[in-house]
Amino acid sequence: MLFWILVAVLTAAVAAVLLLPLLRAGRSADVAEARDAEVYRDQLDELTRDERAGLIGAAEADLARAEIARRLIAAKARAERSAPAGPARRNRMAQAAVIVLLPAAGLGLYLSTGSPDLPAKPLAARLANPGNDLNILIAKAERHLIDNPDDGAGWELLAPIYLRNGRLEDSANAFRQTIRVLGASPQRLDGYAEALIALADGVVTKDAREALQQSQALDPNNPRTRFYLALALEQEGRREEAKAAYEALVKDSPADAPWLSLVNRHIAGLSADVPGNPTSQDVAAAGDLDAEGRAQMIAGMVEGLAGKLKENPDNFEGWMRIIRSYVVLDQRTAAEQALQTALKQFPPQSENGKQLLALADELAISVKDGGK
Amino acid sequence: MIIELGHYVLVLVLATAIIQSLLPLAGTLRNDPALMAVAPPAAVSGFLLTVFSFGVLTLAYVTSDFSVLNVWENSHSMQPLIYKFSGVWGNHEGSMMLWLIILTFFSALVASFGTNLPERLRANVLAVQGWITAAFALFILLTSNPFLRLDPAPGEGKDLNPILQDVGLAIHPPLLYLGYVGFSVCFSFAIAALIDGRIDAAWARWVRPWALAAWSFLTAGIAMGSYWAYYELGWGGWWFWDPVENASFMPWLAGTALLHSALVMEKREALKIWTVLLAILTFSLSLLGTFLVRSGVLTSVHAFATDPTRGVFILAILVIFIGGALSLFAFRAPTLKAGGLFAPISREGALVFNNLILTTAAATVLTGTLYPLVLEALTGEKISVGAPFFNLTFGLLMVPLLLAVPFGPLLAWKRGDLLAAGQRLFAAVGVGLVIAAIVQWAHGGGPVLAYFGLALGFYMMAGAVTDLVLRAGVGKVTASVARKRLFGLPGSAFGTALAHFGLGVTVIGIVAVTTFETEHVVEMKPGTTVEAGGFVLTFDGMRQGRGPNYTEESGHFTVARGGVRVTDIWSSKRVYTARRMPTTEAGIRTFGLSQLYVSLGDPMNDGGIVVRVWWKPMILCIWLGGIIMMAGGAVSLFDRRLRIGAPQGARRPKAAAILEAAE
Repeated sequence: MLFWILVAVLTAAVAAVLLLPLLRAGRSADVAEARDAEVYRDQLDELTRDERAGLIGAAEADLARAEIARRLIAAKARAERSAPAGPARRNRMAQAAVIVLLPAAGLGLYLSTGSPDLPAKPLAARLANPGNDLNILIAKAERHLIDNPDDGAGWELLAPIYLRNGRLEDSANAFRQTIRVLGASPQRLDGYAEALIALADGVVTKDAREALQQSQALDPNNPRTRFYLALALEQEGRREEAKAAYEALVKDSPADAPWLSLVNRHIAGLSADVPGNPTSQDVAAAGDLDAEGRAQMIAGMVEGLAGKLKENPDNFEGWMRIIRSYVVLDQRTAAEQALQTALKQFPPQSENGKQLLALADELAISVKDGGK
Repeated sequence: MIIELGHYVLVLVLATAIIQSLLPLAGTLRNDPALMAVAPPAAVSGFLLTVFSFGVLTLAYVTSDFSVLNVWENSHSMQPLIYKFSGVWGNHEGSMMLWLIILTFFSALVASFGTNLPERLRANVLAVQGWITAAFALFILLTSNPFLRLDPAPGEGKDLNPILQDVGLAIHPPLLYLGYVGFSVCFSFAIAALIDGRIDAAWARWVRPWALAAWSFLTAGIAMGSYWAYYELGWGGWWFWDPVENASFMPWLAGTALLHSALVMEKREALKIWTVLLAILTFSLSLLGTFLVRSGVLTSVHAFATDPTRGVFILAILVIFIGGALSLFAFRAPTLKAGGLFAPISREGALVFNNLILTTAAATVLTGTLYPLVLEALTGEKISVGAPFFNLTFGLLMVPLLLAVPFGPLLAWKRGDLLAAGQRLFAAVGVGLVIAAIVQWAHGGGPVLAYFGLALGFYMMAGAVTDLVLRAGVGKVTASVARKRLFGLPGSAFGTALAHFGLGVTVIGIVAVTTFETEHVVEMKPGTTVEAGGFVLTFDGMRQGRGPNYTEESGHFTVARGGVRVTDIWSSKRVYTARRMPTTEAGIRTFGLSQLYVSLGDPMNDGGIVVRVWWKPMILCIWLGGIIMMAGGAVSLFDRRLRIGAPQGARRPKAAAILEAAE
């Protein structure tokens, strides 16, 4: 309520300031030319002063004086000719414009973008009284951990919250810190691997696989660990081994285990024929797939792209994309080979070549027989 | 609530600006003083409202109110307080707010200090300012609103871009915008004069102080920006001919031309049409710069094409204002009466020469900046036009201009004597050549052309002094009279001399750095040494450190000369935690006007680290010259005030209030 009162007061104040000159009737404007004459008289004074100070010769001063005097006379003549402004008229239109436009434009625009009910939320006040504001609770925990980086329980608490809120990088880091302080456990290692896999859009990266293997060493029968390791095999293209791993997982699981349907879908996928290159419909469908399916799709697309680049190597964007994809899929040798071929097409001195080298640098791929 | 009030007040700024742009103009058309009188209070209240709105945004930053989207995106609660303040304009939305507050500030200045202006002119000027304000306020509200909210509010911000976490950001953009936007007043004066169809010497006298003020701020802003890039980016360069830099440099070139042609117009009522055109062009280049920097068109034409809302809006502003102004100009210019005549060799002629070269230079920079964009848009090919192009074209253009600078003030109005002016400059030429010869003898080496460059710089400095000496009449009158005359000289004479002197200082800095600097890129391990500029640097090792919102690795170097330890240098690389972004904090030590510049590169596998060491002789001259030029502008600007107390000053009751640069 107070807000709307202040809005009304402010609008009225501004309107009053703008209306005041309109209401003050009977004043007449000065004549513009009179101001001109003032300037020229000023110039004449200045000239006299310069002459007296010896800054300008007498002959030059006379010439300049004649010139300014001509301007002065002209300005005076104009001043006499031009009638002074007429008396002020009533400006009902203008007054109406001010009275209507200010609140109408003001409220119209404000209401379309503003959030009048939302109070200001300075951080200090929120930290002092967090209530059930999850973001602030996280922020408080973060501040605590900056000062006490060895509080393992704190990291362990935050890690899964980050994962649920989509802060994947923070989640991976929090799991890493937990393991550093509290030591490894299957739970923590799997969480870490999950965060890394989510970060790589469903691809089981090298780091994730190492964490999973470590977890399996601690607890060989954890179904979650086994599933992700099987998935890693599948993504590497080791289809038979993957299928066997999935089937072993099914065999060891209770009949009503919730993960069975997912595992069975993978087995079914592996039993089917090898999929061809993805079409544009496939790409559109990728949005609907789950993470594992998408990883499969990526691998298929990379194959397709490699084929296209073989036929038409003059495709700079394509090379950049395929090198990046190989690294994501952890096929570094393939990435290096692609870089070699691409550098043949785009020599290292060219603008594109430089970008390729920069990419290699970024992804830490070695450039054989040196681009530089 | 306070945040929402700031938002609402920003909308009021727009509404006020619309009224300010319509009623006064109707007043001049209907010759109605009451309507014209709306302009000043509208301008002043527009400014006060903007201050309130900007203040609220600042408050949100200082209190880390992450329920404001803009604050969340560009601030962090751990950031030092000064960067919470400067972070307000360290992003797109905030910088547009800064633009708006400065624009309304200038409008308020015209409203408050323009009491000596004819009422019609003032009403029209403020109406044009109102259009510009309305356009930008609408742009902010529709495409770049800094007051949008987040609910629920995040717990921590994303931090300000680390490169911008520097004192430079606190100073550079406000100065630059004071310059950019200051030229809007000249633009408004030009449009107002065209609307009314009256342009005379008096007009030029009223415009000059605004042009001077804007020019001084822009000079300082560019110099500051260049120094900031020099020490913050860690590449050791001070000017990159980067499109963003060019965007601020083009209005400066055109503004310098405007400053000089307004002088001719005020004194001789000549070059009227040209001056008006320059006023329009200067602000147009400011707008173009804003478009280039703010629309994202520079990063990639394609990125611009995919999210064009902002870009298209600014482009529309650009087309309406520049197109409208030029159409009005084309329509009105033929009806303007031509002014005074002059011989080619005269003060006017010299200033025309200055104008020709400066505008050509501005056109060259414009070409070099826009060509890659046009090419990319048309063919998709990406090229960059870099230093070689600009050095060749721009550099060649500048040489005759710099040679001619000392001549200008020595030539008489209307009809000058080039030979006599040349004779008076003999001493200055001599000074330049002798000093260059001494430098060659003491330093040796380097290309011959470099010494001519140095001679040119010293000649300009000596030429500026010559002008003052001649005006004081040294040699013709007794020493005491000469001294009295020197102190009696109008401030603008000192302003001219200072500005030209500063230009000479900058030239010396540029020539010295480009030809005599040394660069060493070496891999260093603790204990290894490298030599630069007569100093021996010993690398002592690295140290880890932690700041409020970053971690850093610093390398320590001991600097010695002739075996004696002189000083030490810390050079660091930082990683800002929130954005995981690295920055280089170069280690810089100043020796007189020269600097030693140490920047850390990548660590090597064997424990060493790549270090770049530059010796930058006389580099401070580049920015020192800029500061001297700015001081020249300021002295000119305050000319009248200085003279009011002078004994010869005639009493002029009304004109005393005039805010202007005399002469």
